[in-house]
Amino acid sequence: MKYQYAKYLYALILYASLAAPAYAWQVAYTVRSTEIKQLPYSDAATVGTLGEKASVNVMSRQGGWVKISSAKGNGWVRMLSLRGDSTAKKSGDTGLQSLINVGRSGSSGIAMTTGIRGLSEEDLKNARPNPEEFEKLQKNAVNKAKAEKFAHEAKLKTQQLDYLPSGGNP
Amino acid sequence: MFNRTLIFFAIGLLFTFPARAFDFDIQKAISFAQKAQQATKTIDEPEEIEIGHGIATNLLGASPLLPDSKVQQYVNQVGRWVSLHTERPDLPWQFGVLDSSDVNAFATPGGTIFITNGLLQRLNNESELAGVLAHEMVHVLRKHHLAALQKGARMDIASMLAGEALKDKGNSEVLDKAIKAGTEVYARGLDKNDEFEADRMGIVIATRAGYDPYGLPAVLQMLEAMNAQDSALALMFKTHPAPHDRLSLLDKEMGDRFDAYAAPTQTDKRFNSEIARHE
Repeated sequence: MKYQYAKYLYALILYASLAAPAYAWQVAYTVRSTEIKQLPYSDAATVGTLGEKASVNVMSRQGGWVKISSAKGNGWVRMLSLRGDSTAKKSGDTGLQSLINVGRSGSSGIAMTTGIRGLSEEDLKNARPNPEEFEKLQKNAVNKAKAEKFAHEAKLKTQQLDYLPSGGNP
Repeated sequence: MFNRTLIFFAIGLLFTFPARAFDFDIQKAISFAQKAQQATKTIDEPEEIEIGHGIATNLLGASPLLPDSKVQQYVNQVGRWVSLHTERPDLPWQFGVLDSSDVNAFATPGGTIFITNGLLQRLNNESELAGVLAHEMVHVLRKHHLAALQKGARMDIASMLAGEALKDKGNSEVLDKAIKAGTEVYARGLDKNDEFEADRMGIVIATRAGYDPYGLPAVLQMLEAMNAQDSALALMFKTHPAPHDRLSLLDKEMGDRFDAYAAPTQTDKRFNSEIARHE
């Protein structure tokens, strides 16, 4: 009997790990008044409106849209209208985030505990050249043909678009 | 040769040496002014690459490469593909993952891009990686570090940097000084407008390569959500504007312009399999 439930739990964890891209935080707040949309499109129906500094629960992200639940309604808001809530639990603290991390890596949590050393200001100022490492770096470089093949393998397509003007303008 | 600006500058110099004004040599003043004028000229591409390689060799002295050739290959493939969508696709672009738990990324003049393993492990998909690498590429395209190097350099280095001294292969002293000064720029950081420009242009470059335009913004939100006291972030936060400000600016600049560009659907599998946690 217990084994049956374990199977379902395993399936749930697996599903959670593959379902949505892991997101930065579970609780967020708005930095400007923003509309909650029924679907992740600007011309979808408006479900409700959030004022500034409204708290929301974040479920997942799709491009520039984030799926949320809030006191004013559930739906999608623009990702850039949100920031992490510093008073709430951070990623790695909540059960759901840990589940997502387990699926991807086999271990839980985000904090790095290893790594040879940091790159402090002092390290940079006192840096001595390491030509052997530079040679390794050069050997790892790939040529255009290899890069194009790599893109083709995942069906990445070149798109044309101009640079943005600075300062922002509609 | 004796253009007006030069003459005025030379005469101006005359007045900055009051005690010795009467034995001042006008020829000396003109040649000094010529050198100063040369300092504002651009550094040629071969010299740019040489300085950048020297800086990269120093950065590797501070932190060696992550000893995982699969990860290095993967990051180079993503990076080189993205680089093909810049205005300098033929630079010797090369990418390295540094074996450091810090969260940071660096670009050196001429096309060397580094990302720390600490940052790489915190990314969620290939679009986020592409966004970070594209941001760094903009520093190379817009020559931000070279400008900072020339701006901060003492007069004697500045005047030599763009002149014949740098091209003289037998004179490594100038190159060495440029490389040392160039490496120190990374401890200070760039002007904040350079970072804002790198965000704005980087998003476009990543999108041109077929990636989710919201990759880099998602990384900025991840940084914003991290504990600001985390020592892994110390250098990054010292040398960059606050993630909140970068996001607010992008919000204004992106608007709904990128709604038409969907995230790629077939890159998650290889990202997840290549970027396994290093214990």
